[in-house]
Amino acid sequence: MPTWFKKVFNDDVAKATSPGVPASNGADAEVEKPVPVAPPTVDKPALGQPDTTEFEEPVKPKLRKIIHAPIIMDEEEQSSWSENIAIKARVEADRMTCVFMVDRPVLEGLSAWFPQPSYAEESSPLGKQLFAIEGIGAVLLHGMTVTIGMTDLCDRPWQELSVEIGQVIRAYLKTGEDTITQSFRDNIPPEDEIHLKLQACVDMEINPGIAAHSGVVTLERIVGNSVYLVMGGGCQGCAASEITLRQGIHNTFRNAVPQIGGIFDVTDHSAGSNPFYSELPAGMG
Amino acid sequence: MPKLDSFTLEIKTGAKAGPEIPSFAINGFPLEFDSAEGNTQPGETIVLTGSPNSYPHSLVVIGPQNGQPAWDIESITATYDCSLMEPYTIRMGAVTLDDESNLNFWNEPPLPVFDV
Repeated sequence: MPTWFKKVFNDDVAKATSPGVPASNGADAEVEKPVPVAPPTVDKPALGQPDTTEFEEPVKPKLRKIIHAPIIMDEEEQSSWSENIAIKARVEADRMTCVFMVDRPVLEGLSAWFPQPSYAEESSPLGKQLFAIEGIGAVLLHGMTVTIGMTDLCDRPWQELSVEIGQVIRAYLKTGEDTITQSFRDNIPPEDEIHLKLQACVDMEINPGIAAHSGVVTLERIVGNSVYLVMGGGCQGCAASEITLRQGIHNTFRNAVPQIGGIFDVTDHSAGSNPFYSELPAGMG
Repeated sequence: MPKLDSFTLEIKTGAKAGPEIPSFAINGFPLEFDSAEGNTQPGETIVLTGSPNSYPHSLVVIGPQNGQPAWDIESITATYDCSLMEPYTIRMGAVTLDDESNLNFWNEPPLPVFDV
């Protein structure tokens, strides 16, 4: 019998609730006769009288918090950045997006999202050059990364596309010029204003919409024009949370404040008090 | 999401010893390790194996039981063997597990990175 089974159905309980079961299955074991057990007596209130029996509040098990250990990168991976502009690419799981990690800042303190070429035309010289490559459908500049989205009709493999993208990024960064225009910078609202508008979206539109699934979204912080949010309740740990984020929340936020850049989900989807799957309460296991 | 057939966990204990035989849980469901070699005394290493045969959202080492002292972990090396892919290894750094915490050691297979 597995150990976990014993924990759930421990022997004492099994014996107490099965009066006819013999204590041992051995050949020498004496077979006990079943002893009739009287049902427990309960003081019932007289007919017509209210039941005033007080029940003890059940003790809720204490939930354990989930912690993570820092992941250690291989030394080879860390030291492979060279003095030239080094770029590494990582194709995301959806195969439609590729993140280019550059060894120096591309856009510090802000992020810039261009969902189609016309958005980058007057706003980002680097974005404009990237859109000139066949098959590129969206560009996000953020920190030391350039995230590229492929168009639905593009059938070029990332290995091929990334060579051209790398050349454009490298050549542009060598010029030392800003990756976005001054007018684009000037149009970005202050963090407080972005927070206020997005909070209104969360309160009036997003949270009422996902409440049916016991979900809740919280704005964690705004940094420059980048948005960091936390998905809680039923959204936490839910496999569909990314669809909710990309198809619902992204559009709502961008309609409210078109100047926002990256939207990042910083939820720990493996922790929490009420995620889609539950962790062990303290003391169990 | 890959199906995790089995894993090997190599845990090196730091200054404070851990439970004699740790246990783990997958998606909140408690299980015991298939095997344990070594121990969790300070400076020692324990090698644990498990076979969840399931799809993990969370895969945790359960921390010390109520009232038991905290477990000082110096490093963890986890090797995951998932269906339809090559096994992969992730190294993790120091962490302290107390009687109110579990350590999530599940890591999705790393996405391939290439030079451009």
